[in-house]
Amino acid sequence: MAIPVYVVTGFLDAGKTTFLNTLLNKYNWQDIKMLVVQFETGEEEFRSCYRNCQFISFPKKTLEQQPLQIVEEILEVLRVYTPDEIWIEWNGVVPFSDLQALLLQKGLRDLCKTQKVIHVGDGAAIEGLLGRTGSALPEQIASSDFIVVRNIYSSVAYRRICRLLRGLNPGVDIYEVRGTKLHQDLYRRLFGRREHPLSLFFLTVLLLIALHIFARPVLEVLQLPVNTIINVFLGIILQAIPFLLIGVLLSSAIQVFVPQRFIERWFPKSIGLGMLVAILAGFCLPVCDCASIPIFRSLVRKGIPLPVAITFMTATPVINPVVILSTYYAFSGNLSIVITRVALGIVAATLIGLFFALRPPKGQVLSGGALDRMMCSCGCYEDADSISTFFGKAGLFIRHSQAEFFDVGKYLVIGTFVATVFQVMGASIFNAPQSGGGLALSMIIMMAMAFLLSLCSSSDAIIARSFANRFPMGAVMGFLIFGPMMDIKNLMMLSSGFSKGFIVKLLLITFILCFAVVFIFYGLGVI
Amino acid sequence: MQIRAKVFNPQIFLELICYVSYAVLMIYLLSSGRYLSYVTPRMKPYLIFSAVVIGIWAMVTLGRLLRPQHKIRSMHCFVLALPILLLLLPHRSLGTADISGSYIGGNILSGQASPYGSTPQRQNPPANSESNAAGPMPAEAPAERNTEPASDPFSAVDSELLPEDEAPTDSLDSAILDTPNYAYDFSNLPGLDSINKTITVSNEDFGLWISELYVNMEKYEGYTVSITGFVFKDSKELGENAFVPMRLMMSCCVADLMPVGLLCKYDKASQLENDSWVTVEGTLFIGEYTYDDTSFDEPQINVTKITPAQAVEGYVYLY
Repeated sequence: MAIPVYVVTGFLDAGKTTFLNTLLNKYNWQDIKMLVVQFETGEEEFRSCYRNCQFISFPKKTLEQQPLQIVEEILEVLRVYTPDEIWIEWNGVVPFSDLQALLLQKGLRDLCKTQKVIHVGDGAAIEGLLGRTGSALPEQIASSDFIVVRNIYSSVAYRRICRLLRGLNPGVDIYEVRGTKLHQDLYRRLFGRREHPLSLFFLTVLLLIALHIFARPVLEVLQLPVNTIINVFLGIILQAIPFLLIGVLLSSAIQVFVPQRFIERWFPKSIGLGMLVAILAGFCLPVCDCASIPIFRSLVRKGIPLPVAITFMTATPVINPVVILSTYYAFSGNLSIVITRVALGIVAATLIGLFFALRPPKGQVLSGGALDRMMCSCGCYEDADSISTFFGKAGLFIRHSQAEFFDVGKYLVIGTFVATVFQVMGASIFNAPQSGGGLALSMIIMMAMAFLLSLCSSSDAIIARSFANRFPMGAVMGFLIFGPMMDIKNLMMLSSGFSKGFIVKLLLITFILCFAVVFIFYGLGVI
Repeated sequence: MQIRAKVFNPQIFLELICYVSYAVLMIYLLSSGRYLSYVTPRMKPYLIFSAVVIGIWAMVTLGRLLRPQHKIRSMHCFVLALPILLLLLPHRSLGTADISGSYIGGNILSGQASPYGSTPQRQNPPANSESNAAGPMPAEAPAERNTEPASDPFSAVDSELLPEDEAPTDSLDSAILDTPNYAYDFSNLPGLDSINKTITVSNEDFGLWISELYVNMEKYEGYTVSITGFVFKDSKELGENAFVPMRLMMSCCVADLMPVGLLCKYDKASQLENDSWVTVEGTLFIGEYTYDDTSFDEPQINVTKITPAQAVEGYVYLY
C-alpha cells in the first residue's frame, strides 16, 4: 500500500503552517501517524499537540542544489518511521512540478502517492502577488485540487478572488476560512471522493451512446427531428472547426511570436490610426467570426487599445476577402450590395470602436483580470518573451494553440448546439412576419435571426439572399452586418475570456449601432 | 540542479486519442466523399487543413505523454469527442422527407418566391425599378437587373470565378455536381443533343443544367428535356396542374438545404405522390411565374411522359 501524500502549497506568508497546525492537530486524528515535511521555514513553526507527527524540514538551498539528497533523507525517515500519511508543506516560490519530480524519483515513487494538493492563499495579498512574482504561484494554483483562502473580509473581494483563481484553475473547489477555526465541512469537502476525470469522460461517452440508442427513438416519436439536429450540428461544426483552427493559430502566433516590445513600439498610439490599421488588417485576413474572437482576445491581452481591438473584431468578419467573395456569389455579382455591406460594416465597426473609446468600460474587461495579460489558461506559464530559441517558441506556440482551441472550442460547441436547435425547431417563429411590417421591424427580425442562427460569416450571404424577396433590403443588410459581428456562438466564445458586463455591453452597443447605421442608410434614403 | 521524472499522463493520452481519431476520421470522410453529406466541396481544402493541423498536434503531443501532471482534466476533450462521436453513431443524411417538415432549410427557403431555389425572380425587371430609395423592395438593387441581365450565381461562378482547384474529385459520390468550365464550350454540355433537340439531364449534371436553362432559356426553347427529381406539389402556390421535380441543393452546409427544380405542367399532377422520385420527359417552354404581384419568365416543362425513378443519393452543390 502506497502512503498517501497531501501537499500544501502557497506563497510565502500565505499561512500554510498555520493551516497545517489547525488542520492536523485534530482531536480524533491523534491515532494517525503522520510525517510532516517542510520545504520552507516561515514565521510560524509546526507544532504537534498529540505527538503523532514526525517532522523534517529542508531549506530551499538543498532543494535547489541537492534534490536527490532530499529523496534519500525522506526514504531514510520512511524506513524507520512508517507513517500513515505524509503531509508536505511546499515552498512558495518553487514550481509544484519540482515536487512532483521529487516524489516520482526511484524509491519514493512506489512508496507514496499524491492524493490531494491544497493551496493556501492570503486573500489580502494574492491579487498583488499574481503576475508579479513569477510563474511558480500561478502554476501552484493551477495544479491544486482545493484552495483555501483566508483573510477576506468582504463578499465583493471574495467573488473577485474566486474569479481570479478559477481563471487559472477552472472549477476548483474554493474554501473560505474566517479566523483560525476550521469547520467540519472543510474536512468533508477536502476528503470527499472524486471520480477520476478519465472515467468521468468515458462514462459521459457511454451515456451519450446509450442516449443515442434508447432516447432517440422516444424523441423521434415525440416529433423531435433528432436526425436533422445531428446533421445540422455536424454541418455547422465541420465548417467551424477549420476556421477556429485558423483563428487559434493566428492568435497564438501573435501571443507567442510577437514580442510585447514590438507592439508597444510600432503599433500606432492614436486610436484613429489604430482603427485604420485594424480595418486594413480585417481586409487581409480570410477568417470568419469563429477566428476573429480568439485573435481579439490575444490582441487585448497584448495591450492593443480596446477600441482598436473591438473595431478589428467587428470589422474582420464582415469585410474580409472570403466574405466579400461569398457575398458576390450569393447576390449574383451585384457589386452594389457587396460594396454596401463592406462600407456599412466598416462604418458600424468604427462607430462601435469609437463608442468604447469615448466611454471606456469600467472595471476589468478580461475575466482573468490583469493577470490575463501575461498568462493563459494553457498551463504554459513561461513568459513568451523569456523563451528565445525557435524550438522553444514553436513548442509553446503549439501548446498555446491547443489550449486555446479547447478553451474557445467548448463554447463553440455549446453555441452551435443552441443555434442548431433554433434552426431546426424554432425557425417557424420567423415564418409569420412577412415584409409587411415597417423597415425597422423587419430589420429587428432579421438581426435577431442572424443572432440566433449563428451562421458562419463566410457563408451567411447565401442565406440572406434567400430572405431577400420576403424582407426589404435594409433588413437583409442588417442581417449581413450584425450577424457576423455578434451571434450566440460568438457570445459564448467571448465568455471564455471576458467579463459578463463587458460582453453584454458590447452586444447591446453592436446591435444598436448596426441598426442605426443600416436604418439611416436605407430607411432615410441616404444612398 | 534539475531533476525530471516520467509518468504516464492520462490527460495527454486522452487528447492524443481525440486528435488521432479526428485526423483519421477526416481523412476517411474526405477520401470517401462522405463529408459531402454535411458540407459542400468548397470546404474540402479547409477540412484537409484541419486534418493536417490536428495531425501535427497529435505528433507534438506524443512527446508530452510521459510528463507528470497532478491535476487531470478531461471534459474539454468533448470539443473534438462530441463531433467524432456524432459522426460515428449511425444517422441518415437528410432527405426529402426532412426538408418538408418544420425546418428552416425547407419551409423558409422553399416557401420563398418559388420553390426552385434562388434564381427565378431576376429574369424580369420589376415594375417599380425607379423607386429604389426607400421602403421594402424586392430582392435586388434594380440597377443590376438592367445592366447585368445574365448575372446569376451559376454563370458568375462558371465564367469568371470558379477557382481551378474546384475540379471534382473522382472518388466523390456520383451525385455531385460536376462543375466543368462549360461556359466557354456550350456545344459540349453533357447530355445535349442539338441535332435531335434533346437534353438528357443526368443526376450529376442537375445543378449545371438548371442554371444553364435559366440563363439561356431562349436558346433551349422547344427542346425535349428529361430530368429526375422528387415530386413537389403545392396546389396553392403552383396550381392544380403543375408540380416540380426537385433535388436538394446545398449552398454552404447541411443547414441550408433547399429544393431546386423546373416547374412542370402536367394535367394529372394531382395523381402524383409528393416526395416520390420520377423521371420527367417533356418540352421546354418559357413560362411565367407570379410572385408578389411581379411575374417572371422562367423555363418550364410541358410534360409528355413520367416514369418512376430510383431515389438519387446526394445533393446538388451551388459552387
